[in-house]
Amino acid sequence: MSTVKKPLSDTAKAVGERIGCLRDFLEFLEENGQCITWTDEILPEPDVRNIAVAAGRDSMNGPAVIFNNISGYPGKKLVLGVHGSFTNLALLLGHPKGTTIKELFYDIISRWGDDAPLLTFIEPEDAPVNENRITENFNLYDLLPLYRINEYDGGFYIGKANVVSRDPRDPDNFGKQNVGIYRIQVQSPGEFTLLSVPAHDMGRHIMAAEEEQVPLKISVMLGNHPAMCMFAATPIGYDESEFAYASQMMGSPLRLTKSGNGMDILADSEMVIEAELMNGVRSFEGPFGEFPGSYSGVRKIPRFKITAISHRNDPIFENIYIGRGWTEHDTLIGLNTSAPIYAQLTKDFPEVVAVNALYQHGLTGIISVKNRFAGFAKSVAMRALGTPHGTMYLKNLIMVDDDVDPFDLNEVMWALSTRTRAEDTIVIPNMPMIPIDPAAEVAGKGHRLIIDATSFMPPDKLGSDSKIVTPPAGPEIDALAKMIQALQNGEKP
Amino acid sequence: MSLCPRCQAAKEKIRTEHKGLNAQGELVWTIFHCVACEFTWRDSEPATTIDYDKREAFFRVDTEKPYPVIMPPAQYK
Repeated sequence: MSTVKKPLSDTAKAVGERIGCLRDFLEFLEENGQCITWTDEILPEPDVRNIAVAAGRDSMNGPAVIFNNISGYPGKKLVLGVHGSFTNLALLLGHPKGTTIKELFYDIISRWGDDAPLLTFIEPEDAPVNENRITENFNLYDLLPLYRINEYDGGFYIGKANVVSRDPRDPDNFGKQNVGIYRIQVQSPGEFTLLSVPAHDMGRHIMAAEEEQVPLKISVMLGNHPAMCMFAATPIGYDESEFAYASQMMGSPLRLTKSGNGMDILADSEMVIEAELMNGVRSFEGPFGEFPGSYSGVRKIPRFKITAISHRNDPIFENIYIGRGWTEHDTLIGLNTSAPIYAQLTKDFPEVVAVNALYQHGLTGIISVKNRFAGFAKSVAMRALGTPHGTMYLKNLIMVDDDVDPFDLNEVMWALSTRTRAEDTIVIPNMPMIPIDPAAEVAGKGHRLIIDATSFMPPDKLGSDSKIVTPPAGPEIDALAKMIQALQNGEKP
Repeated sequence: MSLCPRCQAAKEKIRTEHKGLNAQGELVWTIFHCVACEFTWRDSEPATTIDYDKREAFFRVDTEKPYPVIMPPAQYK
């Protein structure tokens, strides 16, 4: 899949070339005042979660936080909030601080695709991830500064790993090899559970391996290139490669190598845990504070056994705070959730202007569209529900006109206040829904809501006697707003 | 640590998982794991997480009760 490309700016190209791994990005964030180091001694619980939540309050400008003095973990490093603010994403894409969410959305759209991947392959012995190799006596508790993310989680979770698996029925297919983020609960020094469901690509791999009674080998990448994390969380097609998308977005090559168990992995990740599915075994897992802001309950889920671990010298453990929003989860996946829905909709309906699916992975979406005829926005909404992500996630859809910025909630509320008739709301009962939505009628099934907040068109006579005030708008006013902000901050505009 | 803070399993079910030491090599905390309900905890955590009586009752686990199984292996047979 691809959209219309614009050439990258010189700054974006330079940033893409400079950032080859997590360490490079942390250094870059630090130079730009977007990464701090917490040097005071803290306890794993509750201090890590307290600091992570406080740092994450500012979704526009919050910093990444490196912890290097956690009690009981001398010499170990943990980082949270790497994708915790839109400014961190802006810097990754070569933009200055102060870049708006809408500007980032259009930039990501212009880079979207997998038709021109930039991947280089290096030998495993030359890969930094293989600086250290462990093949027995695994102990995740010793290797990683593990901690409880939320107070009633069932254990210590790895929440931001990028997991690589191959389709057991088509193991040589590069595109069907999947990279995804799945929650991992450490169950013993050398075993963990991993939650995936049949709707996920990896869920399909687990089911296929158990049906065929063949081993399912996976590689769990920790501390990754920041673009990789964004695409591991992106709902792209089953046979599309997350590596290809990530490299294309950065506009510079991503270095891959082979893991010991045959997966393609990032050569510069902090750590790669190789593991094998324990066929047919299900273990207690959870609760876990999930992205809707509630705990998903205790379940019995697939379990994996570690077979080898590779890591860089002094590896940095990258994790995430997740829970009641706004959290890093929302910033990490928000724009990458919005972009594919936009790309899929504009194929049929070029009138779609922008898609905001930032909220709880798209449980609420706002779509801006230019009505072609009366009622058109409702048809577009129905199509959105039929996109791969929309099928499970788009629960509440608000349709607004093309003159409304869907990323500016003041404008969206204006549209709701002035352009919505109660009868322009549609409820579609008993639709599929993600099982962890606390508002689901039963887990996995619930109702959908469409609110058409677009303006009226003939033959609809309503509103024909009112004229909208047109305040000055456009690039000139945007530039003035930035200048005023700079003056307010005491900077030279 | 004698019983599981979540399911009250007896101490035979509790495995000592890992001991955290400071830079001087002194013990600062210990991680335990209940093999009955798979709960993992550290003895330095707040009481609301590791004390059965102070935890919210909602989060107790009764291993005798049925819990949902993700992708039940029986479906392949």
